[in-house]
Amino acid sequence: MEILKISLAFFKIGIVAFGGGWSVVGLIKQEIVPSWMSVDAFSSLIAIAQSTPGPIALNAATLVGWQKAGFFGALAATFSVIAFPLLAMSLTLAFSRYIPIKKDLADESLRSGSMAMIIMTLWTLLPQNTIPMPWIFALASFGITAFTQINGVWVILGSGAINMLLGLLP
Amino acid sequence: MKIPSRKNGAKKTTKKTEPTPLRIFLTLAQINTLTLGGGYVIVPVIGNSFKKQGWIDEEEFYRIFSRAQVFPGPIALSTSFLCSYKIAGVKGAIAAVLGVVLPPFIALILVGGFISLYGDTELFKRFLKGAGAVVPGLVGSMLWKTAKNRKWTTRALIEVGLLTILLVLFPSAAFFILIGGIVVIYLGRLIWKS
Repeated sequence: MEILKISLAFFKIGIVAFGGGWSVVGLIKQEIVPSWMSVDAFSSLIAIAQSTPGPIALNAATLVGWQKAGFFGALAATFSVIAFPLLAMSLTLAFSRYIPIKKDLADESLRSGSMAMIIMTLWTLLPQNTIPMPWIFALASFGITAFTQINGVWVILGSGAINMLLGLLP
Repeated sequence: MKIPSRKNGAKKTTKKTEPTPLRIFLTLAQINTLTLGGGYVIVPVIGNSFKKQGWIDEEEFYRIFSRAQVFPGPIALSTSFLCSYKIAGVKGAIAAVLGVVLPPFIALILVGGFISLYGDTELFKRFLKGAGAVVPGLVGSMLWKTAKNRKWTTRALIEVGLLTILLVLFPSAAFFILIGGIVVIYLGRLIWKS
Protein backbone atom coordinates (compact mmCIF):
# COMPACT_ATOMS: atom_id res chain seq x y z
CA MET A 1 0.00 0.00 0.00
CA GLU A 2 2.81 2.33 1.01
CA ILE A 3 4.58 1.63 -2.30
CA LEU A 4 1.44 2.43 -4.26
CA LYS A 5 0.99 5.76 -2.45
CA ILE A 6 4.63 6.72 -2.99
CA SER A 7 4.40 5.78 -6.66
CA LEU A 8 1.30 7.87 -7.17
CA ALA A 9 2.88 10.86 -5.43
CA PHE A 10 5.99 10.71 -7.59
CA PHE A 11 4.00 10.06 -10.77
CA LYS A 12 2.20 13.36 -10.08
CA ILE A 13 5.52 15.07 -9.37
CA GLY A 14 6.85 13.80 -12.70
CA ILE A 15 4.00 15.45 -14.59
CA VAL A 16 4.85 18.96 -13.38
CA ALA A 17 8.63 18.62 -12.99
CA PHE A 18 9.43 21.54 -15.27
CA GLY A 19 12.38 23.87 -15.34
CA GLY A 20 15.30 22.31 -13.51
CA GLY A 21 15.40 20.29 -10.33
CA TRP A 22 14.99 23.04 -7.76
CA SER A 23 11.57 24.18 -8.94
CA VAL A 24 10.03 20.81 -8.21
CA VAL A 25 11.40 20.54 -4.68
CA GLY A 26 8.48 22.55 -3.26
CA LEU A 27 6.02 20.19 -4.87
CA ILE A 28 7.85 17.12 -3.57
CA LYS A 29 7.67 18.69 -0.13
CA GLN A 30 3.95 19.28 -0.56
CA GLU A 31 3.47 15.59 -1.33
CA ILE A 32 5.60 14.06 1.43
CA VAL A 33 5.74 16.56 4.34
CA PRO A 34 4.40 16.06 6.98
CA SER A 35 2.73 12.71 6.24
CA TRP A 36 5.97 10.84 5.55
CA MET A 37 8.71 12.96 7.14
CA SER A 38 9.45 16.18 9.03
CA VAL A 39 10.60 19.44 7.38
CA ASP A 40 14.13 19.04 8.79
CA ALA A 41 14.42 15.48 7.55
CA PHE A 42 13.16 16.69 4.18
CA SER A 43 15.81 19.41 3.94
CA SER A 44 18.53 16.88 4.73
CA LEU A 45 17.12 14.52 2.13
CA ILE A 46 17.22 17.25 -0.50
CA ALA A 47 20.79 18.07 0.46
CA ILE A 48 21.73 14.42 -0.06
CA ALA A 49 19.82 14.26 -3.35
CA GLN A 50 21.69 17.31 -4.62
CA SER A 51 25.16 16.20 -3.55
CA THR A 52 24.92 12.74 -5.08
CA PRO A 53 25.20 12.17 -8.84
CA GLY A 54 22.01 12.34 -10.86
CA PRO A 55 18.92 14.58 -11.24
CA ILE A 56 17.57 15.88 -7.94
CA ALA A 57 13.95 14.80 -8.50
CA LEU A 58 15.09 11.30 -9.38
CA ASN A 59 17.39 11.08 -6.38
CA ALA A 60 14.73 12.40 -4.02
CA ALA A 61 12.33 9.77 -5.35
CA THR A 62 14.86 6.98 -4.83
CA LEU A 63 15.64 8.13 -1.28
CA VAL A 64 12.02 8.57 -0.18
CA GLY A 65 11.10 5.20 -1.70
CA TRP A 66 14.06 3.56 0.02
CA GLN A 67 13.34 5.06 3.42
CA LYS A 68 9.64 4.23 3.35
CA ALA A 69 9.53 0.86 1.59
CA GLY A 70 13.05 -0.50 1.00
CA PHE A 71 14.51 -1.54 -2.34
CA PHE A 72 11.23 -2.02 -4.17
CA GLY A 73 9.96 1.26 -2.83
CA ALA A 74 13.03 2.95 -4.29
CA LEU A 75 12.55 1.18 -7.61
CA ALA A 76 8.85 2.05 -7.81
CA ALA A 77 9.34 5.70 -6.86
CA THR A 78 12.20 6.20 -9.32
CA PHE A 79 10.26 4.61 -12.15
CA SER A 80 7.14 6.61 -11.30
CA VAL A 81 8.85 9.97 -11.42
CA ILE A 82 10.14 9.38 -14.97
CA ALA A 83 7.07 7.52 -16.25
CA PHE A 84 5.10 10.54 -17.41
CA PRO A 85 8.04 12.44 -18.95
CA LEU A 86 9.06 9.36 -20.97
CA LEU A 87 5.49 8.76 -22.04
CA ALA A 88 5.05 12.39 -23.08
CA MET A 89 8.27 12.36 -25.13
CA SER A 90 7.48 9.04 -26.80
CA LEU A 91 3.99 10.17 -27.77
CA THR A 92 5.33 13.45 -29.08
CA LEU A 93 7.96 11.68 -31.19
CA ALA A 94 5.28 9.40 -32.58
CA PHE A 95 2.59 12.01 -33.20
CA SER A 96 4.45 15.30 -33.43
CA ARG A 97 2.84 16.04 -36.78
CA TYR A 98 -0.60 16.18 -35.19
CA ILE A 99 0.29 18.30 -32.15
CA PRO A 100 -0.21 21.98 -32.98
CA ILE A 101 1.68 23.39 -29.97
CA LYS A 102 3.61 26.60 -30.55
CA LYS A 103 7.00 25.93 -29.04
CA ASP A 104 8.04 29.51 -28.20
CA LEU A 105 4.72 30.21 -26.46
CA ALA A 106 4.92 26.91 -24.57
CA ASP A 107 8.48 27.80 -23.57
CA GLU A 108 7.47 31.15 -22.11
CA SER A 109 4.45 29.66 -20.33
CA LEU A 110 6.57 26.93 -18.76
CA ARG A 111 9.13 29.52 -17.73
CA SER A 112 6.45 31.43 -15.83
CA GLY A 113 5.22 28.17 -14.31
CA SER A 114 8.63 27.02 -13.13
CA MET A 115 9.48 30.48 -11.79
CA ALA A 116 6.34 30.40 -9.62
CA MET A 117 7.31 26.89 -8.50
CA ILE A 118 10.76 28.04 -7.42
CA ILE A 119 9.30 30.95 -5.43
CA MET A 120 6.87 28.57 -3.75
CA THR A 121 9.73 26.17 -2.98
CA LEU A 122 11.75 28.98 -1.41
CA TRP A 123 8.73 30.22 0.55
CA THR A 124 8.00 26.83 2.10
CA LEU A 125 11.64 26.04 2.90
CA LEU A 126 12.59 29.31 4.65
CA PRO A 127 13.47 28.76 8.32
CA GLN A 128 10.27 28.85 10.36
CA ASN A 129 11.64 30.81 13.33
CA THR A 130 14.17 33.48 14.22
CA ILE A 131 16.94 31.25 15.58
CA PRO A 132 19.96 32.86 13.88
CA MET A 133 21.90 29.73 12.92
CA PRO A 134 19.72 28.40 10.07
CA TRP A 135 19.41 31.91 8.62
CA ILE A 136 23.18 32.38 8.65
CA PHE A 137 23.72 29.08 6.83
CA ALA A 138 21.00 29.91 4.30
CA LEU A 139 22.15 33.47 3.61
CA ALA A 140 25.81 32.49 3.35
CA SER A 141 25.02 29.70 0.90
CA PHE A 142 22.85 32.07 -1.13
CA GLY A 143 25.70 34.58 -1.36
CA ILE A 144 28.24 31.96 -2.35
CA THR A 145 26.20 30.16 -5.00
CA ALA A 146 24.49 33.23 -6.48
CA PHE A 147 27.59 35.40 -6.91
CA THR A 148 30.48 32.96 -7.41
CA GLN A 149 31.01 29.98 -9.70
CA ILE A 150 31.33 27.57 -6.77
CA ASN A 151 29.25 24.42 -7.25
CA GLY A 152 26.41 24.11 -4.72
CA VAL A 153 27.52 20.57 -3.93
CA TRP A 154 30.61 21.89 -2.14
CA VAL A 155 28.49 24.33 -0.18
CA ILE A 156 26.27 21.47 0.99
CA LEU A 157 29.15 19.18 1.96
CA GLY A 158 31.10 22.07 3.52
CA SER A 159 28.25 23.25 5.68
CA GLY A 160 27.54 19.68 6.79
CA ALA A 161 31.18 19.36 7.80
CA ILE A 162 31.15 22.74 9.60
CA ASN A 163 28.05 21.84 11.59
CA MET A 164 29.62 18.50 12.48
CA LEU A 165 32.81 20.23 13.71
CA LEU A 166 30.75 22.75 15.70
CA GLY A 167 29.25 19.76 17.51
CA LEU A 168 32.71 18.60 18.54
CA LEU A 169 33.45 21.91 20.27
CA PRO A 170 33.22 21.70 24.07
CA MET B 1 60.10 27.27 -25.77
CA LYS B 2 57.39 26.03 -28.05
CA ILE B 3 55.51 22.96 -27.13
CA PRO B 4 55.25 20.72 -30.17
CA SER B 5 51.68 20.33 -31.26
CA ARG B 6 50.46 16.80 -31.02
CA LYS B 7 48.17 16.36 -33.93
CA ASN B 8 47.80 12.66 -33.44
CA GLY B 9 46.81 13.09 -29.82
CA ALA B 10 44.25 15.70 -30.76
CA LYS B 11 42.84 13.40 -33.40
CA LYS B 12 42.45 10.61 -30.93
CA THR B 13 40.06 12.58 -28.70
CA THR B 14 37.81 13.41 -31.65
CA LYS B 15 37.78 9.86 -32.97
CA LYS B 16 34.42 9.00 -34.43
CA THR B 17 32.62 5.94 -33.21
CA GLU B 18 29.39 4.29 -34.19
CA PRO B 19 26.58 5.28 -31.74
CA THR B 20 25.55 1.79 -30.64
CA PRO B 21 23.10 1.48 -27.72
CA LEU B 22 25.87 0.03 -25.56
CA ARG B 23 28.21 2.96 -26.25
CA ILE B 24 25.42 5.45 -25.58
CA PHE B 25 24.65 3.71 -22.30
CA LEU B 26 28.29 3.64 -21.21
CA THR B 27 28.91 7.27 -22.20
CA LEU B 28 25.87 8.55 -20.30
CA ALA B 29 26.44 6.25 -17.33
CA GLN B 30 29.98 7.53 -16.99
CA ILE B 31 28.93 11.18 -17.20
CA ASN B 32 26.07 10.67 -14.75
CA THR B 33 28.30 8.93 -12.25
CA LEU B 34 31.00 11.57 -12.31
CA THR B 35 29.13 14.86 -12.71
CA LEU B 36 27.63 16.54 -9.68
CA GLY B 37 25.31 19.51 -9.56
CA GLY B 38 22.11 19.58 -11.54
CA GLY B 39 20.88 19.40 -15.10
CA TYR B 40 22.32 22.65 -16.38
CA VAL B 41 25.80 21.51 -15.35
CA ILE B 42 25.49 18.08 -16.88
CA VAL B 43 23.84 18.88 -20.23
CA PRO B 44 26.87 20.69 -21.73
CA VAL B 45 29.09 17.77 -20.64
CA ILE B 46 26.80 15.38 -22.50
CA GLY B 47 26.82 17.66 -25.54
CA ASN B 48 30.62 17.76 -25.64
CA SER B 49 30.95 14.03 -25.30
CA PHE B 50 28.41 13.29 -28.06
CA LYS B 51 30.08 15.84 -30.30
CA LYS B 52 33.57 14.45 -29.67
CA GLN B 53 32.43 10.99 -30.69
CA GLY B 54 31.02 12.41 -33.89
CA TRP B 55 27.42 11.51 -33.04
CA ILE B 56 25.85 14.93 -33.34
CA ASP B 57 26.96 18.49 -34.09
CA GLU B 58 26.70 21.20 -31.47
CA GLU B 59 23.95 23.20 -33.12
CA GLU B 60 21.71 20.17 -33.47
CA PHE B 61 22.39 19.17 -29.86
CA TYR B 62 21.33 22.54 -28.47
CA ARG B 63 18.31 22.62 -30.75
CA ILE B 64 17.20 19.32 -29.20
CA PHE B 65 18.08 20.64 -25.72
CA SER B 66 15.79 23.61 -26.17
CA ARG B 67 13.04 21.30 -27.35
CA ALA B 68 13.61 19.02 -24.38
CA GLN B 69 12.76 21.86 -22.00
CA VAL B 70 9.13 21.72 -23.07
CA PHE B 71 8.88 18.28 -21.45
CA PRO B 72 8.65 17.66 -17.72
CA GLY B 73 11.25 15.58 -15.91
CA PRO B 74 14.98 16.00 -15.39
CA ILE B 75 16.48 17.97 -18.28
CA ALA B 76 19.47 15.59 -18.47
CA LEU B 77 17.02 12.74 -19.01
CA SER B 78 14.90 14.42 -21.68
CA THR B 79 17.89 15.79 -23.61
CA SER B 80 19.68 12.41 -23.57
CA PHE B 81 16.48 10.61 -24.52
CA LEU B 82 15.67 12.83 -27.51
CA CYS B 83 19.28 13.02 -28.75
CA SER B 84 19.83 9.28 -28.52
CA TYR B 85 16.55 8.62 -30.29
CA LYS B 86 17.72 10.93 -33.05
CA ILE B 87 21.11 9.22 -33.47
CA ALA B 88 20.26 5.59 -32.66
CA GLY B 89 16.50 5.08 -32.72
CA VAL B 90 14.35 3.40 -30.09
CA LYS B 91 17.16 1.20 -28.77
CA GLY B 92 19.34 4.26 -28.35
CA ALA B 93 16.59 6.03 -26.42
CA ILE B 94 16.16 3.05 -24.07
CA ALA B 95 19.93 2.89 -23.55
CA ALA B 96 19.90 6.60 -22.74
CA VAL B 97 17.21 6.22 -20.07
CA LEU B 98 19.17 3.40 -18.42
CA GLY B 99 22.39 5.40 -18.65
CA VAL B 100 20.83 8.38 -16.88
CA VAL B 101 18.77 6.49 -14.32
CA LEU B 102 20.85 3.49 -13.24
CA PRO B 103 24.05 5.10 -11.86
CA PRO B 104 22.28 7.54 -9.49
CA PHE B 105 19.89 4.77 -8.48
CA ILE B 106 22.73 2.50 -7.45
CA ALA B 107 24.57 5.38 -5.75
CA LEU B 108 21.45 6.35 -3.81
CA ILE B 109 20.79 2.76 -2.69
CA LEU B 110 24.34 2.70 -1.31
CA VAL B 111 23.89 6.11 0.36
CA GLY B 112 20.50 4.99 1.70
CA GLY B 113 22.10 1.88 3.16
CA PHE B 114 24.84 4.01 4.70
CA ILE B 115 22.26 6.30 6.29
CA SER B 116 20.30 3.39 7.77
CA LEU B 117 23.54 2.18 9.32
CA TYR B 118 24.94 5.49 10.60
CA GLY B 119 21.95 7.85 10.43
CA ASP B 120 21.38 7.60 14.18
CA THR B 121 24.85 8.65 15.28
CA GLU B 122 24.99 12.17 16.72
CA LEU B 123 27.82 13.22 14.41
CA PHE B 124 26.03 12.16 11.24
CA LYS B 125 22.83 13.84 12.38
CA ARG B 126 24.75 17.09 12.77
CA PHE B 127 26.21 16.64 9.28
CA LEU B 128 22.77 16.15 7.74
CA LYS B 129 21.37 19.12 9.65
CA GLY B 130 24.17 21.37 8.43
CA ALA B 131 23.80 20.11 4.88
CA GLY B 132 20.03 20.69 4.98
CA ALA B 133 20.42 24.19 6.38
CA VAL B 134 21.87 25.56 3.12
CA VAL B 135 19.04 24.25 0.93
CA PRO B 136 16.89 27.45 1.15
CA GLY B 137 19.98 29.45 0.15
CA LEU B 138 20.56 27.25 -2.90
CA VAL B 139 16.92 27.57 -3.93
CA GLY B 140 17.22 31.34 -3.51
CA SER B 141 20.28 31.46 -5.72
CA MET B 142 18.54 29.34 -8.37
CA LEU B 143 15.66 31.82 -8.27
CA TRP B 144 18.05 34.74 -8.57
CA LYS B 145 19.82 33.25 -11.58
CA THR B 146 16.62 32.22 -13.35
CA ALA B 147 15.07 35.66 -12.78
CA LYS B 148 18.20 37.43 -13.97
CA ASN B 149 18.33 35.47 -17.23
CA ARG B 150 14.73 36.04 -18.20
CA LYS B 151 13.42 38.81 -20.40
CA TRP B 152 10.81 40.30 -18.10
CA THR B 153 7.64 41.73 -19.59
CA THR B 154 4.62 43.05 -17.68
CA ARG B 155 2.76 39.97 -18.83
CA ALA B 156 5.40 37.60 -17.48
CA LEU B 157 5.45 39.45 -14.14
CA ILE B 158 1.67 39.18 -13.80
CA GLU B 159 1.73 35.47 -14.74
CA VAL B 160 4.41 34.62 -12.21
CA GLY B 161 2.85 36.85 -9.53
CA LEU B 162 -0.65 35.41 -9.77
CA LEU B 163 0.54 31.81 -10.01
CA THR B 164 2.83 32.28 -7.00
CA ILE B 165 0.04 33.78 -4.88
CA LEU B 166 -2.26 30.86 -5.74
CA LEU B 167 0.47 28.31 -4.96
CA VAL B 168 1.32 29.89 -1.62
CA LEU B 169 -2.32 30.31 -0.58
CA PHE B 170 -3.47 26.82 -1.62
CA PRO B 171 -0.42 24.56 -1.36
CA SER B 172 -2.50 21.38 -1.12
CA ALA B 173 -3.86 22.05 -4.61
CA ALA B 174 -0.42 22.90 -6.02
CA PHE B 175 -0.49 20.14 -8.61
CA PHE B 176 -3.75 21.25 -10.20
CA ILE B 177 -2.95 24.94 -9.88
CA LEU B 178 0.27 24.37 -11.82
CA ILE B 179 -1.24 22.34 -14.63
CA GLY B 180 -4.25 24.64 -14.92
CA GLY B 181 -2.06 27.72 -14.58
CA ILE B 182 0.36 26.72 -17.33
CA VAL B 183 -2.50 25.85 -19.69
CA VAL B 184 -4.23 29.19 -18.98
CA ILE B 185 -0.97 31.11 -19.47
CA TYR B 186 -0.35 29.31 -22.77
CA LEU B 187 -3.87 29.97 -24.05
CA GLY B 188 -3.63 33.56 -22.87
CA ARG B 189 -0.46 34.06 -24.86
CA LEU B 190 -2.04 32.35 -27.87
CA ILE B 191 -5.19 34.46 -27.86
CA TRP B 192 -3.97 37.89 -26.74
CA LYS B 193 -0.72 38.52 -28.52
CA SER B 194 0.82 41.68 -27.18
